[in-house]
Amino acid sequence: MQYQRKLSLLVLLALLAINSLAQKPSRSTARGQVMFEEVSPQASKLNWTHNNARSPDRQLPETVGAGCAFLDYDNDGWLDIYLVNSGPSDFFTPATPLKNALFHNNHDGTFSDVTDKAGVAGGRFGMGVAVADYDGDGYVDLYITNYGPNLLYHNNGDGTFTDVTEKAGVTAPGWSTCATWFDFDNDGKLDLFVSSFVFYDKSQNPLCTDPTLQRRYYCVPRLFKPQSSRLFRNRGDGTFQDVSRESGIADHPGKSFGAVATDVNNDGLMDLFVANDTMPNFLFVNKGGGRFEEVGLAAGVAYGETGKPRSGMGVDSTDYDGDGWQDLFVANIDHEFFSLYHNDKDLIFSDQPGEIAPTTHLLSGWGLKFFDYDNDGDPDLFLVNGHPDDMIASRVPRVSYKEPLLLFENTGRTFKDVSASSGAVFGKIFSGRGLAVGDFDNDGDLDVLISNNGEAPVLLRNEGGNRNNWVGLQLVATKSNPAAVGAIITWQAGGVTRRRLKTGGGSYLSSHDPREVLGAGSATKIDWIEIRWPSGKVDKLTNVPLNTYVKILEGSGLVTK
Amino acid sequence: MFLLILSAILGFQTVAQQPDLVQRLEQVATLIRENRLTEAEKELAPIARAAPGAPATTNLLGTIRAKQGRLNEAEALFLQAVRKDDKFTGARLNLAYLYLLKREHQKAIFQLREVLRLEPDNAEAADKLAELLFADGHFDECISVIEKQRQSRALSPELLVMLGDAYFAKGAATEAEQLYLLALEGRLDNAGALLGLAQISRAKGELREASLYITRVATLTADSKSPEFLYKFALIAISVGMIDPAKDALERTLKMRPNDPSFLLALGIAWLRRGDLFESEKIFRRVIELQPNNARGQLHLGYVLLNQKKYGEARVWLEKSAQSNNSIPEVFYYLGLVAQEQNDDARAIALFEKTVQKLPNYVHARVALGSSYMKLKDYTRAQQELETAVKIDPDEPKAHYNLALLYARLKDTARAQEEMRIIEKLKAKGVTPDSGVVVLPPTSPP
Repeated sequence: MQYQRKLSLLVLLALLAINSLAQKPSRSTARGQVMFEEVSPQASKLNWTHNNARSPDRQLPETVGAGCAFLDYDNDGWLDIYLVNSGPSDFFTPATPLKNALFHNNHDGTFSDVTDKAGVAGGRFGMGVAVADYDGDGYVDLYITNYGPNLLYHNNGDGTFTDVTEKAGVTAPGWSTCATWFDFDNDGKLDLFVSSFVFYDKSQNPLCTDPTLQRRYYCVPRLFKPQSSRLFRNRGDGTFQDVSRESGIADHPGKSFGAVATDVNNDGLMDLFVANDTMPNFLFVNKGGGRFEEVGLAAGVAYGETGKPRSGMGVDSTDYDGDGWQDLFVANIDHEFFSLYHNDKDLIFSDQPGEIAPTTHLLSGWGLKFFDYDNDGDPDLFLVNGHPDDMIASRVPRVSYKEPLLLFENTGRTFKDVSASSGAVFGKIFSGRGLAVGDFDNDGDLDVLISNNGEAPVLLRNEGGNRNNWVGLQLVATKSNPAAVGAIITWQAGGVTRRRLKTGGGSYLSSHDPREVLGAGSATKIDWIEIRWPSGKVDKLTNVPLNTYVKILEGSGLVTK
Repeated sequence: MFLLILSAILGFQTVAQQPDLVQRLEQVATLIRENRLTEAEKELAPIARAAPGAPATTNLLGTIRAKQGRLNEAEALFLQAVRKDDKFTGARLNLAYLYLLKREHQKAIFQLREVLRLEPDNAEAADKLAELLFADGHFDECISVIEKQRQSRALSPELLVMLGDAYFAKGAATEAEQLYLLALEGRLDNAGALLGLAQISRAKGELREASLYITRVATLTADSKSPEFLYKFALIAISVGMIDPAKDALERTLKMRPNDPSFLLALGIAWLRRGDLFESEKIFRRVIELQPNNARGQLHLGYVLLNQKKYGEARVWLEKSAQSNNSIPEVFYYLGLVAQEQNDDARAIALFEKTVQKLPNYVHARVALGSSYMKLKDYTRAQQELETAVKIDPDEPKAHYNLALLYARLKDTARAQEEMRIIEKLKAKGVTPDSGVVVLPPTSPP
């Protein structure tokens, strides 16, 4: 009798287990439940505010910055945060010293300011940050772009950094915006692309006024001269060679903001898509041998559909429809529409923004990133917006300085705006600029960090993305470049095969979690994962544990959980 | 309505010969004029009994019925009078006015023509007929009617303006200009004549002069209570790019007739010209609310949505408009653009070709056709269409841009750069590509 009762209890438990499996959120139900929740500065201890140095003269650099980064500078397995600030320049003398900030992740949802200890305060008029381990010593370094000379901080591995800019030869004076680490010559070393904006100094600030307001507003970049971006080849000895001229990059002066390293023609060489403001965008196709060819016009990504250059700001690249070809995205200013360039192969793209276009009609986009926020396996899209002109509302109907964030869910061939159902933060407005993506709480879903112009940053915790199954990969290169930029990750789960190229850069002035979180949806196992490294090596993994981070060593496969 | 009574008496005079009867009928007419319809009918009854079916009494009874709002009975009575006496111009005039009340313009025109055939010097009939012919777009006959009157009498400034408008509509700008100037001799503040001169200046490309006329008209018509005139003014103002006065005028017309779809449509177009897609969208939606089958409203709503890249809904409205005979050929071009954006290239090409068949010189359709062929990598046909587009309008930046794109894809860098240089030159001349996907075509309203 007792035995019988025990048996029936077991049956009951088994049934419950089956039910609970059945109730596990399917791809569609999980999607609706993912929320981004704002982590207050009180909770995170991220007590920091960007100073945009706004002046009555409305100097253009004031409105362009600044960026942010998720990085793990001390290799403790938890993402830290770096925030870029303004600083002294030819037009600005801060009343009190301004600093960039490095916040250490305390593993409990809070952060501690370790800027001074680390020695990464910057002290220049900062724009963006690009994080990567350029020397392959196992610790990520920081490259800070500025209005003025840039900074390369080498990570000493002990919680401190050393300014090695001069020695490395990557000063790049002028006005730099986005920086992108990638390996253009596949020599296993990370090279550096630095976007240059316009020629500018305070004497070249034309008088742009609104007669009705009798105040200056920020001039349109059209009024300024373009300058060439820079490409630095990593020599592997801690120094870089400026190869802008010989690579062909310098042949194309621009007013460049966002840049992403991607492979648009699947030839294994990383190309560059660069957004330009009021000028045609550049698509630099890597021809090998250290040469790039600019094919933006022929590719159909340089101009708007009427042949008019637009105001490109943030960019990113992914294969959103899973056809095996990298697509491109660029955010523009209000009334210009954002572009989702579908890769039609043969280096031809067609703009197919779908629902994104009408939704962004009146917005100006900066930070943006394709990532799989709900771990259903496909890349979604997060957009950070804000108009550069703080007085725009008085001049253009329906356009405001502060603008909302947007989240688009990938529906297979196109994107659907799910902002309204993804958290209260999407009902707020920001002077958004930078956007970094990373799993700062290590719970398996990707969180978001937003840097705002003249405001505090916003940290958004992803709540519910991990209801779908996932696996996080930390790619450790042995022959390929340390960031594994250019690696192709293919995985199969639940009968669906997906493929992802590890791109370099993307977004705006910002840097992301270097780990790759692969969504498995409701599949209870990942059948296999294949890593095709830039070196050509291939690692194929099976029996990869779910819902955890794993380390993959190039040539050796899975090494640790 | 007083004209109906007047015509009733006139009609009566042609028939009734007995003085006492005339007096009695005049008494009836007076009662009608004073709106004492029951008494008039009572007074008329014995006369009608004495001479059943007499055209004069039938005509008066018809007038009473018309004033009572019993229009069908009135029509039957007037027709009865005319059947009895087909030269009874009074009854015919009454019929014409009745048909105007019933908005049956063609029937009114027929009766007025008959009146003029019987009485060529009937100024009232001539003026009314001319007005109706003009409104219905029968410009040749309108000109003929007024010119005949001009031989026998001095035309009023209003009629001179109408004649000028008719000539202008026929493309005879010189004659029109002379007539407007003549009308101004009679009255320097003749807003209609000034508006006509504005149209002429616009047609000659003298936009500054046109703007000056428009400004003068705007001052003169600050207190205008004529929605029709304000509407006409607004359309011309829009066409010379004076959007604010146009909007003001249309907003005034809409205070007088808030639900007039034509006025709303024009206001929507004014907002559209201002570049405000959202305000114009609201107004076009209102037009369709009022007139669900308004083809122009559907077209414009579709157009606005297309420019907002809301392709799905744009297609719905454009297709509705295309099904109507009142739509314009460009609707197929817009539908083609929607198809192009929705990756339905075959359908896009078919629609662009349909547009080109109807409007061979419509440059935007040629460019779109070239662009579709380019998407399909049919570079030969793309080149043909784009080169045709450039021949049609060498100043169309979009055509040059697509040619640049084509040459770049054909690896002809020099020609691609040359095309981009042309765009730069056009930009220097002030010709910039439209920021939207399409531009409002010249044949679309206004």
